[in-house]
Amino acid sequence: MSVILKTHKLRVEFRSREMRQGVKVALNGLDLEVRAGEVFGFLGPNGAGKTTTMNVLLGFVPPTSGEASLFGIDVRQPIARQRIGYLPELTYYYKFLTAEELLRFYGKIFGLTRAEMDQRIPRLLKLVELEHASKRPIRSYSKGMQQRAGLAQALINNPDLLILDEPTSGLDPLGRMKVREIIQRLKNEGKTVFFSSHELGEVEAICDRVAIIHQGELKVVGRVDEIKKAHHSNLEQAFLEVIGYQPQTTP
Amino acid sequence: MNSPRTIVLLLIALLVFCFGVAAHLTPQFQTWRGSRAGGDIFNVVLGDSRRMFAQSFFVKADAYYHSGYYPTMFDNKEAFQTQHMAADTGAVSDKNHGDEESFLGPTRNWIDAFGRHFFPDRHTHLDEGGAGGDLSGSENVREILPWLKLSANLDPDNPQAYTVTAFWLRERMHRTAEAEAFLHEGLRNNPDSYDILFELGRLYYEGYHDAQRARNVWELAVRKWLALAPEDQKENKLIFEQITTRLAQLEADAGNVPRAIDWYHAAQKVSLTPDAIQQRIDELSKKISAKQP
Amino acid sequence: MKNIFAVAGVVIKELYRRKDFYVLFIVTILICLVMASVNIFNDSKIARYLKEICLLLVWISSLVIAVTTTARQIPAERENRTLLPLLAKPITRMQLVFGKFLGCWVACGLTLLCFYIFFGALSATREHQWPVLNYFQAGVMQWFMLGIVVAMSLLGSLVFAAPSSNSTICFIVIGGILFVGRHLDQVATSMHEPLRAVVNALYYIVPHLEFYDLRDLIIHNWPLIEWKYILLALLYATAYIATFLLGACLVFRRKPVN
Repeated sequence: MSVILKTHKLRVEFRSREMRQGVKVALNGLDLEVRAGEVFGFLGPNGAGKTTTMNVLLGFVPPTSGEASLFGIDVRQPIARQRIGYLPELTYYYKFLTAEELLRFYGKIFGLTRAEMDQRIPRLLKLVELEHASKRPIRSYSKGMQQRAGLAQALINNPDLLILDEPTSGLDPLGRMKVREIIQRLKNEGKTVFFSSHELGEVEAICDRVAIIHQGELKVVGRVDEIKKAHHSNLEQAFLEVIGYQPQTTP
Repeated sequence: MNSPRTIVLLLIALLVFCFGVAAHLTPQFQTWRGSRAGGDIFNVVLGDSRRMFAQSFFVKADAYYHSGYYPTMFDNKEAFQTQHMAADTGAVSDKNHGDEESFLGPTRNWIDAFGRHFFPDRHTHLDEGGAGGDLSGSENVREILPWLKLSANLDPDNPQAYTVTAFWLRERMHRTAEAEAFLHEGLRNNPDSYDILFELGRLYYEGYHDAQRARNVWELAVRKWLALAPEDQKENKLIFEQITTRLAQLEADAGNVPRAIDWYHAAQKVSLTPDAIQQRIDELSKKISAKQP
Repeated sequence: MKNIFAVAGVVIKELYRRKDFYVLFIVTILICLVMASVNIFNDSKIARYLKEICLLLVWISSLVIAVTTTARQIPAERENRTLLPLLAKPITRMQLVFGKFLGCWVACGLTLLCFYIFFGALSATREHQWPVLNYFQAGVMQWFMLGIVVAMSLLGSLVFAAPSSNSTICFIVIGGILFVGRHLDQVATSMHEPLRAVVNALYYIVPHLEFYDLRDLIIHNWPLIEWKYILLALLYATAYIATFLLGACLVFRRKPVN
């Protein structure tokens, strides 16, 4: 299988006047490879560097050193983003637009023709179960509906790679299940999905491989069952072990 | 406390309390000197500060009189010290001097030169047709009236706003009745104003050709002027000269030549051109001597 | 260009789906109708005061719409995090800035069109004439002036953290330029160095928005301005728009997205 997402010795440092300590290393020598057609879970505690990695991959943050590429193209080139779909965490889409208008807007940016959009948008709205609300302004949507509209916008260009930043964050169990089903369906369609999450059960259920990152460094990468086997436990306990969590024992 | 019935009862009790307090306070509030409630909208909104705006609107009327061709506070205002629309009524002494055409002066730089293409650029007077010059002739002067009315509303104690408005209403708009009503309104606000009385006399004499009412009003204006303090009289000589001259003319027209000469003598005392008045007196004296056998 | 038009389209949709424009338009109509109903010495031909009030409201409303709409564009994208999925698509930051500008500017143009149609109808009821070319000159000049304002607000929205502080600063600057911009060099003469040099420099640096205020000319029925001067003024505005937009692009390029 071909590698479509790759980072090599990726290092990101932040310098800020607000940070008295001077330089903060957000990523330190990160090496990652995501292959075509797999669902890749990107795990780590808060502040581990997951969002920074995604920001580098999306071209929002320039790497201090090292390389990052999508489909073999340096992420600093806008063309690298032509074949990806991105769903950020907790986004409040344009309230005054309807879901259909939102998709048309993003479709135009991808240079889709009117005919292509006429064909693709109803299909996407059906996929994310928003066809009944497609003419309603987004301001009237529930959180789950907004998240599904976000998923639809991430799929508007029929991407080969989907980058999802905590796609189920803040959703109720039903909403989470629906998003999970969509990811599963995308996997079945042969899409590559790279997503971060704190829901380890969900990761365990749908991911082919996972990577665990802590304090900007890659700790573990591999198939879910291999990681579980190596740590003789479930994914949650393996995760805690990898990040060095010591449970407090009561006397 | 949480039951809707208690809340409704509490609301009723509060409303009754508010009504009671309001009923108790209203008479006191109405007699309170600081109350604005009885005045017009400007009084309610601006209070006494409205007088500050009155002069601005009076000047605005003059800017309209010039179709917008008007100096700002940064330009040379020597030729615009007295509003032209007021000076042209003949009732205000004109302090203007200098060139009316070139208050902007020579161009200062390229920005100034370029900017002048986007402002009115010709000295015009609305009673002569205004910028277009092809509308309804001198009746264009009507456009200054809203600002004058506003100025009078904001500062009812300024007689000039009434006299200037009445002059243009009568002289150019031929709306004598409206002019008279406005002057009466001005007189109610300024009962001692000889300016308004003078303009009212002109309206009676020239508008209604009623010499008797004009005489009465002008004579009252003279009495009001004479009641001024000496230093105030010194500052307002022009209006006295105008009133007495008009009275003299009225008497001469009516055939009361000795009375006319008396008024000319009164005018001569304050006039800047006593010789010209003396000439009129001599003419009238000759008339008397010619009549005597 | 397709990206710029796509972004602009969303901004225009935002304008006509929000209540700001309708509120200001209705308030303008109501005030003008109330003013028109005032009896001034039983003379129904008095028109210019009405034109003046209407144009003043048009100017205030259009400036409010231009500044407030523009000032919230990019901050709202950041706050709602829509900037992330947007910039994750094949669109450059420069295209986003230009799209936002175009959207706000065209939206201002559309509101101006509505306002001027109302103004024309109102003045026609009194003056029984419709000097379309004069209105066109005044409208186009005002639209380009709003272009400068929009570009300035867009730059401000990237420099100042809160849209409210940006709007306030923009209103103060615009008001200052409109009231004293034309006379800054004269003001400078009464000052001592180095303030004098600073004010003089300001005189040459600030965009002279007062050029675009043709209200007096249409209120008092002045003849048309020569077209070559209108064209020069539009070029002058275009230069300032370009300057502010390039400044905005530069600032935005260095700005973190979240």
